[in-house]
Amino acid sequence: MGYLVLALVAGLAAVERKGFLQAMLSRPIALGPLVGWALGDLEGGILVAVPLELLWLGAVNLGAALPVHEALGAAAITGGAVLAGRALGEGTSPEGAILAVLLCTPLALLGRKADRLVEIWNERLAARAEAELARHHARAAVRANLFGLALPFGIAAVLAPVGAAAAELAIPALLRALPAARGPLRLGFLAFAALACASGAKALRARTAPVLFFAGLGAGLAVAAALGRLPT
Amino acid sequence: MSAPRKVPPRTLARVFWRCLFVQAAWNRRGMQNLGFAYAIDPALRALYPEPERREEALARHLCFFNCHPYMAAAIVGGAIHHEEKVASGLEPGGQPARYKQTLQGPLAALGDGFFWTALRPFFGAAAAVGALLAGWPAIVLALVAYNAIHLVFRLGLFRAGYEKGDAIVGDISRLGLPVAADRLRAAGAALCGVAAAIVVVRSAAPFGGAGGVIAAAAAALGYAALSRGARLLPAAYLAALAGAGAAVVVARLHGSG
Repeated sequence: MGYLVLALVAGLAAVERKGFLQAMLSRPIALGPLVGWALGDLEGGILVAVPLELLWLGAVNLGAALPVHEALGAAAITGGAVLAGRALGEGTSPEGAILAVLLCTPLALLGRKADRLVEIWNERLAARAEAELARHHARAAVRANLFGLALPFGIAAVLAPVGAAAAELAIPALLRALPAARGPLRLGFLAFAALACASGAKALRARTAPVLFFAGLGAGLAVAAALGRLPT
Repeated sequence: MSAPRKVPPRTLARVFWRCLFVQAAWNRRGMQNLGFAYAIDPALRALYPEPERREEALARHLCFFNCHPYMAAAIVGGAIHHEEKVASGLEPGGQPARYKQTLQGPLAALGDGFFWTALRPFFGAAAAVGALLAGWPAIVLALVAYNAIHLVFRLGLFRAGYEKGDAIVGDISRLGLPVAADRLRAAGAALCGVAAAIVVVRSAAPFGGAGGVIAAAAAALGYAALSRGARLLPAAYLAALAGAGAAVVVARLHGSG
C-alpha cells in the first residue's frame, strides 16, 4: 500500500512541477512532508525535506535548460528513508536519511534524462495536433496538450517506488550489520545538511551572497551562544 | 466593419484555468505552443462561430511560443485582447502573433529572474528555516504566502493583459521586479546562513564541539568549493562521507585519549 501511495504522490508531484500549476507543491520542502505524512511519518518527511530543499534551491527550469528532477529525487529519498525507518521499527532517523540520500539521489539525474525523453514524446504530440487541425479536428488538436501530462506522471510513479524499495531493502540490512556506523552516519547527515545550506546560498546568485551567508551563520551562532545552546 | 465581439467573463475564467496547463506538453520544437493553443481555445470558440476562421485563429496560436509560465498568463490575456479586435474586423489577423512574439522574450526573462531565481528560492529557504525552528506549520505558512503572491500575480497579469493589451508593458515595468528580486536573493542567502547555524547547533548537541566544528566546516568549505565550480552532487556525497569519516576519527581520538 505504501508503494502505491508513494507512486501516486510522486506522479502528481511530477505533473505539478512543470505541466500544471507550479505552486511549489513539488518542491522538496512540500513534497517531503507530504510523502512522510502519507507514509505515516510527517516528522521524518520534514527531516529529509529541509536539506533537500536547500541542496536543490537552484534547480529551476530556465528556458530549455533542464535541472535535476528534484521532485523525483525528493519522493524517492523521503519514501526510502521513511520505509526503512518503519522496517527497523524506529521511525525515520538521520542515519537512515543519509543512506537514502546516498542511494536514491542518482534518480534525480535519471529523472533529468527522462525529461528529455518526455520532450521528444511531446514533439510527437505537437505534430499530431497540427495534423488534427489540418483534418479540421480542432478539439482533438487542442486536447493533445493534456496527453503531455501522462508520461511525467508515469515515470515518477514508477521510479520513486523503485528507489524507495531499494532503500527499504538495503538500509535496514546495513544498519543491522553495522550498528557502530550509526553515530558517524548521523554526523554525516548533519554535514550533508550544512553543505546543502551552502548550496542554497550559492544558488541564489546574489552579489552579496557570500557575505550574507556567513553573516547569517555568524548571527545564528551568536544567538545560539547567547541562549546557551552551544557547548562551552 | 462587423459588430464588436467580446469574450464572456465565464469563458475568460475558463481560459485562465487552462493557462495553468501552459507547459503540459512542453516540447523543443514549439515549446509551449500546444499549451497556448489549449489555453486560448475557449476564447477563440466564443469569438469565431465560423469553423474556418476559428481554425485559422487556432493555427496561429499553434506556432512557437515560450515564456515563463506565470507571465504567459499576461500574453494569453493580451492575445485575447487582440483576437477580439481581429474578430471585430478592427485589426489584421497577424496582430495577435506579433504581440506574442514581441512580449514573450522580455516577459520570460523577467519571470525567470523574479519568480524562479528569487521569489521561489526565498520562500524555499524561509520554509526550510521555519521547519527547523517550528516544524510543519512554518512550511504551510510559507507555501500559503508564496501562492498568495503567485496567484495574485498570475490572475492580475491575465486581467491586465486582457484589458490593456500592449499597454501592459508599462504596468509591469512599474512593478520594479528586478529590484525586488535582488532583495529577495540577498535575504534568501542570509536565511541559508541561519539554516547553517541551526545545523551547526544541532550537530554540537549530540557530538559536542567537534560535531559543531565538522558541520561548520562542511558549510564553509562547501560554499568555497561550490563557488570555485565544484559539482553539486559529488560535493554533497563528499560532505556526507567526510562528516561520517570525521566522526569516526574523533571517536577514535577520544577513545585513545
